[in-house]
Amino acid sequence: MDQLIQQFKGSGSFGAGRLSVACDIYERMVRDKKCTIFLGLAGATVPAGMRSLIADLIRERLIDAVVSTGANMVHDAIEALGGHHYKGHWLMDDHVLYRYHVYRIYDVLVPEEDFIKLDYKLAGFYDEIAEENKGKTLSSSMFARELGKRLNDQNSILRAAYEADVPIFLPAVRDSEFGYIYYAHASRRGFQNTLLLDAFKDVPEIIGICRRSERNGMIIIGGGVPRNTIQSAALATKSGLDYAVVITMDRQETGGLSGSTLEETVSWGKLKGNADNVMVIGDAMIVFPLMVASVIERIGKDFERARPASLGKSK
Amino acid sequence: MTKKSEEEQKFCGNCGSHNAYNYPEEIFCTKRFLENKNPVVKTLWHCEDWHLNPQKCQCVEDVTKHEKR
Repeated sequence: MDQLIQQFKGSGSFGAGRLSVACDIYERMVRDKKCTIFLGLAGATVPAGMRSLIADLIRERLIDAVVSTGANMVHDAIEALGGHHYKGHWLMDDHVLYRYHVYRIYDVLVPEEDFIKLDYKLAGFYDEIAEENKGKTLSSSMFARELGKRLNDQNSILRAAYEADVPIFLPAVRDSEFGYIYYAHASRRGFQNTLLLDAFKDVPEIIGICRRSERNGMIIIGGGVPRNTIQSAALATKSGLDYAVVITMDRQETGGLSGSTLEETVSWGKLKGNADNVMVIGDAMIVFPLMVASVIERIGKDFERARPASLGKSK
Repeated sequence: MTKKSEEEQKFCGNCGSHNAYNYPEEIFCTKRFLENKNPVVKTLWHCEDWHLNPQKCQCVEDVTKHEKR
């Protein structure tokens, strides 16, 4: 794989050149013992099949912290509980899918019953978490940890993060099935003694990691809320990010963060002016696995990366 | 519609509270879940709270076909 990436580097042009630069930057982040590597996940990364890749990166300590949409972790939990994502087609008749209770994510299909089984199971988990915490408010990373503790699947991102004590921040947690499950759990309990989650509690946690880290790097799949959460935490350190790789297909002209250039990020002070950075315009489902394969080949199988001091002592 | 045919259409699978569970035989009843009762019931079962708010889905049709086999 790395031979191909080196050929891309030789070309240096267009997407091939950018991808080779992304691999170089990721390699530098991995080899930098004083860098904390954040992975931002937006879009349907897990339904498209990147679940076990991300779980492996967490276990191998090639990623130190994850910031994700709630939905990606919902889909991770669906698989962990025995549900599946199926290969479909983007031209399928959605009216027919609706009648058969099947949801479509571009060319991936998820049966409604897998969502319902998740709702049922997780409503029980929420009850347990609420009982154990007795009115104590959790941050989203504490919530993700509680879920990971209860999922028994080695390919699960939530489980891998729990075992490796890697934080997963879910800044938009309520904007996913996790929010609906809260409603089901709370309604069943008459809104008494429910699970309590405070999104603001994440803020000092993630800023603390950035502050304690000598250098910070991010790899972004998509953009949106996860990207801004990482960038804003880096800004709060008053120095900005040292490394950045953004993989996206969005455009900058809309002013949305998923398409905004890293030069624009510099203007906010969220990325250092001299940071190693590249934006790869392409499908992350192709680009990210190529990047990972190339970097793993470069560092070799005996390479070991320690838990960064910024994360504190393992629990 | 005759009283008998109305009765024949009283299925959980036709109700507004149903979600697919083990398609098509069983459904998940949100109403029963909120009442802390076992929410997984037969698609062709119905409770006293049944009301016709059709889902325009295939549940009842498909489970009926399965049962005829």
